[in-house]
Amino acid sequence: MKRLLAFALLAFAASAQAQPTGDVASNLPAAVAEDRITVSSDYRGSYVTVFGVNPDRRGRGDIVVVVRGPTESATVMRKRRVFGLWINTAPVRFRDAPSFFAVLSNRPLRQIASPQSIWRYRLDAAAMARLESEVPAGADPAAYRSALVRLREVQGLYQEYSGRASPDRRGGLTMYQGGLFRAVVRLPANAPIAEYHADTYLFRDGRLISQQRVTINIARVGVERSIHDLATNASFLYGIVTVLLALAAGWLSALLFRRT
Amino acid sequence: MIYLPIAEMPVNLLFVLLVSGGVGFVSGLVGVGGGFIMTPSLILLGVPAPVAVATGASQIAATSFSGIMTQTRRKAVDWRMGMLLSIGGMLGSASGVWLFERLLRLGQLDLIVSLLYLVLLAGVGGLMLAESFAVMRGRAIKGVTIFRRPIRTVAHTLPLRMRFPRSGLYISIIPPLLLGYGVGALAAIMGVGGGFILIPAMIYLLRMPTNVVVGTSLFQVLIVASLVVILQSTATRTIDLVLAALLMLGGVIGAQLGARVGAGLKNEHIRALLGLVLVAASLKFLWDVVIPPTEAYVLGGGMW
Repeated sequence: MKRLLAFALLAFAASAQAQPTGDVASNLPAAVAEDRITVSSDYRGSYVTVFGVNPDRRGRGDIVVVVRGPTESATVMRKRRVFGLWINTAPVRFRDAPSFFAVLSNRPLRQIASPQSIWRYRLDAAAMARLESEVPAGADPAAYRSALVRLREVQGLYQEYSGRASPDRRGGLTMYQGGLFRAVVRLPANAPIAEYHADTYLFRDGRLISQQRVTINIARVGVERSIHDLATNASFLYGIVTVLLALAAGWLSALLFRRT
Repeated sequence: MIYLPIAEMPVNLLFVLLVSGGVGFVSGLVGVGGGFIMTPSLILLGVPAPVAVATGASQIAATSFSGIMTQTRRKAVDWRMGMLLSIGGMLGSASGVWLFERLLRLGQLDLIVSLLYLVLLAGVGGLMLAESFAVMRGRAIKGVTIFRRPIRTVAHTLPLRMRFPRSGLYISIIPPLLLGYGVGALAAIMGVGGGFILIPAMIYLLRMPTNVVVGTSLFQVLIVASLVVILQSTATRTIDLVLAALLMLGGVIGAQLGARVGAGLKNEHIRALLGLVLVAASLKFLWDVVIPPTEAYVLGGGMW
């Protein structure tokens, strides 16, 4: 049964997008449970599930799954006391900060990969964000970087889990017999609506052996989609529609309540 | 729960309707637009400040239009004065939206909005409390006594004077233009209609008769709020139509119910109550900027 599932996944993965990096193989079979997540008016977040099989027959090696949202620039500011008021000062800009970042591994990431590999393959959120602006004199760039990660973690946008998922955690990676693994991560409702990538990495003795990339599309559907399209593509018309709606609501209420 | 397509977050449907209904009720009760309670309430619900401010303007347009329908039947709108205030208001809201976008980029929008709310809520709330207590003790406050006497203000001495038959005034057009401009700018930055500033200013500064003040201010508020909606939708794209519809629905129903209940209550009691609410709300904003933060860093940029 496990074998059968493994073959099915292999076939699945063949259709998935491959992203080879130098001497790293891309024969790691991996697939997502849903490659299209729809956002309608009852959307309250979602889950991303990544399946795969460790191609090593003896099951050696460690699995790391990273789910990344589109990158964007981010600004981190430090609160300072000015005339008794706490004011946001000294903005520092980061380029390529992921809007969503979840890293899942079968055991703690730092035991699997060296700090160099973590940086090279961008396996943690901090490694992805590149400093764009000057850091103010006397300030520590690392403090800004860790603040970015910490603040996004609080929002549920950056996540890191090792080991299997449990009821009190929002994600995890479970290894099964026959090299099968399953990674689950919660995509909160505030995560941006965009194209995501789920990258699966196989490490052995701290070295990257194989990797695979799968794309997940999150898209608005129905009314949500029409409203968003109108707001971005025909923003002036959208404004007019909103005003007309307001006038209609005001007029109707005045009319209805006069009678009673 | 319903997902908001522009705010990109789910909100509790019933909760939003209750909040907007409650705000509408208060505004109908005391005869103010209620934007200055609605916008902070939305921010407290977790709606991003730019979306709350921009979307709040659409609810203000709805309630003010509802109010104008009633006021027009009573012939309580000075259209000429309203037009003049609106011209100033349109210029003001254009600058306001521009400033809003600048502050958004600089990451200081939340702070400026908090400070403006702090000052205005405390100021207006304090005045309302003082006034209602004075009335309750059977004494008229100073402002009202001055108003009874035919004292000439700056508005009467400046050039470019114009006749306003409905208000029975012959004053310069500069103060109404400036007043409209300031209120328009505030409307764009704070997501308020500005009625709570406009009404006292029209009474004490322009010396307009009280019976036309409410209708005329509603007219200005309607024009400015509508323009703010259109400008915000093109400049910052932060108007959420789903949230707007919910706010309008709750707001207009609440306002009509509030107006009904308000008719059977003592005016000074209502005002004292609202004054208390405003002062309490301003303390919340004061708390936010004065108490040392637990987290020294904040995120800015990106979309917000």
